[in-house]
Amino acid sequence: MRSRSEGSPVVRRVGVQREAFAQFLREASMSFRRNGLMTAAAVTTVTVALLTVGMAVAGSLNLSHLATTLNAQVEIVAFVRDGTRPSDLTRIETAIAAEPGVGAVRFVGRGEALARLQRSLGESPAFADLTKHNPLPDSFEIRVGDAAQTADVAAAIQTVPGIHEVAYGAEVVDRLVALTRAMRIMALLLTVALAVVAVIVVTNTLRLTVIARWREIEIMELVGATRWFIRWPFLIEGVLQGLLAAAAAGSVLLAVYAVAAARLQGALPFLPILPAAGIALPLMAAVAVCGIAVGAAGSFVAVRRFLTT
Amino acid sequence: MVQLDHVSKIHTSGVAALTDVSLRVDRGEFVFIVGPTGSGKSTLLKLLYRAELPTHGRVLVYGRDVGRLRAGAVAGLRRTLGVVFQDFKLLPQRTALENVAFALRVIGTPSTEIRPRALQALERVGLMQRANAMPAELSGGEQQRVSIARALVNNPPLLLADEPTGNLDPDSSWEIIQLLSRITVRRTTVIVTTHNKTIVDMLRRRVVRLADGRVTRDEPRGLYAVTV
Ligand SMILES: Nc1ncnc2c1ncn2[C@@H]1O[C@H](COP(=O)(O)OP(=O)(O)O)[C@@H](O)[C@H]1O
Ligand SMILES: [Mg+2]
Repeated sequence: MRSRSEGSPVVRRVGVQREAFAQFLREASMSFRRNGLMTAAAVTTVTVALLTVGMAVAGSLNLSHLATTLNAQVEIVAFVRDGTRPSDLTRIETAIAAEPGVGAVRFVGRGEALARLQRSLGESPAFADLTKHNPLPDSFEIRVGDAAQTADVAAAIQTVPGIHEVAYGAEVVDRLVALTRAMRIMALLLTVALAVVAVIVVTNTLRLTVIARWREIEIMELVGATRWFIRWPFLIEGVLQGLLAAAAAGSVLLAVYAVAAARLQGALPFLPILPAAGIALPLMAAVAVCGIAVGAAGSFVAVRRFLTT
Repeated sequence: MVQLDHVSKIHTSGVAALTDVSLRVDRGEFVFIVGPTGSGKSTLLKLLYRAELPTHGRVLVYGRDVGRLRAGAVAGLRRTLGVVFQDFKLLPQRTALENVAFALRVIGTPSTEIRPRALQALERVGLMQRANAMPAELSGGEQQRVSIARALVNNPPLLLADEPTGNLDPDSSWEIIQLLSRITVRRTTVIVTTHNKTIVDMLRRRVVRLADGRVTRDEPRGLYAVTV
């Protein structure tokens, strides 16, 4: 038989709401425990992927920096044909400067060349003889705009009348150019492969959320919610996961990089290594963009199967 | 209002769910689609709310060829028709009122309009007093009325019901069918699939019979089976 309080609609409603609220809490905490672990696992995986992406970015930034630094140091030396009249030197200099890709041109007279040689070899009795009969020719030192074009510029200068021979640090430049290119391609391939893995992991995590809400999605579709309206909560969840991973990967990378760069710079003072502050912005930006892209892609794939249109 | 021209539907599995179906339903009509399980009733409705695409032929709803709708235009079509199912498809965590309001909210209805319109829809199905009840506290018939209120909340000119009484006892079934047939008073077109012989025979409305995906009978004041 019904008691009087049970029959009262007010008491019933409050009871129902408390019951519904309790159930909501139970389910939310259950789903958090289940999805929370998955979410942590997904964020960790994406973090690892982004760490690799970040390392590639840091490496590639330093290689470019090295290339720029060496670029500024790469020189072509063009030796003037023996017996060229001093009056022709200006004409030759103008012709060299007119070649495309040539930066600065500087004349080095045979006297100055000998003085440099003496300085670098130190005092030696043999020099007395050299000073009497200087065997060195007049030359021009040419800086190149882009290290990758050094070989082309050198070949062009070779054809300038009055130039006997052209020399440059061909091997170093060529290797650096090749290394940078190989590094970029490898970094790109690695990034793509890791991005695929990261997207799969995020997709699997978000799918749990999607499955938990499949009835809502089904009804939303039936009553005419737009696909974007249905997608956006999942998109936000995915992007948040990506950003979380990006923040973790970015800070770890910067901290480790700062220490490693300082150590390395101490051991190899001549190597041009970028300070942590110099890579912070592009590194964070790259990692954040990748994280957002991975999270967004993961949520798209996770929802797609549940959208029938 | 609704027109099918020589429509066939062959599923990717190779099953021919509908074969050369032509049908026309006018504004304000009430139509039973009857036939045994697997005869293609659900498929016919799915073509109308664009959950399936016809393999051959044309499906016109409000004069528009729904088979040619862009994916982005499907949401627009769905807002102009209501669909009701055997299993109600209610959200178990939400009250009757919230379930109806949900349909308004997810299509961007201004928030001040949502509550009054949801209450009005519940009133239309005679469920105002149970607005704050959870689905689990409602009988099957009441749950189905909530789902009808949700389908009607946008005042669609067309209501589709796929076996709406399939999970209900005879009394509730009769109530639900009465409710659906009253909707046509406001010139809403109602198409109901069923294999409930008693109800069809009592109501004496238009009956379209499907067998193996073909229309075998279409009578204005029909019975479930042919009278010999
Ligand atoms: N998604 C599907 N894929 C393959 N076959 C289907 C699909 N949906 C329905 N069918 C088949 O199409 C036929 C008609 O099904 P349906 O329209 O659901 O019939 P009814 O609603 O009259 O029971 C059946 O043979 C069924 O097995
Ligand atoms: Mg069916």
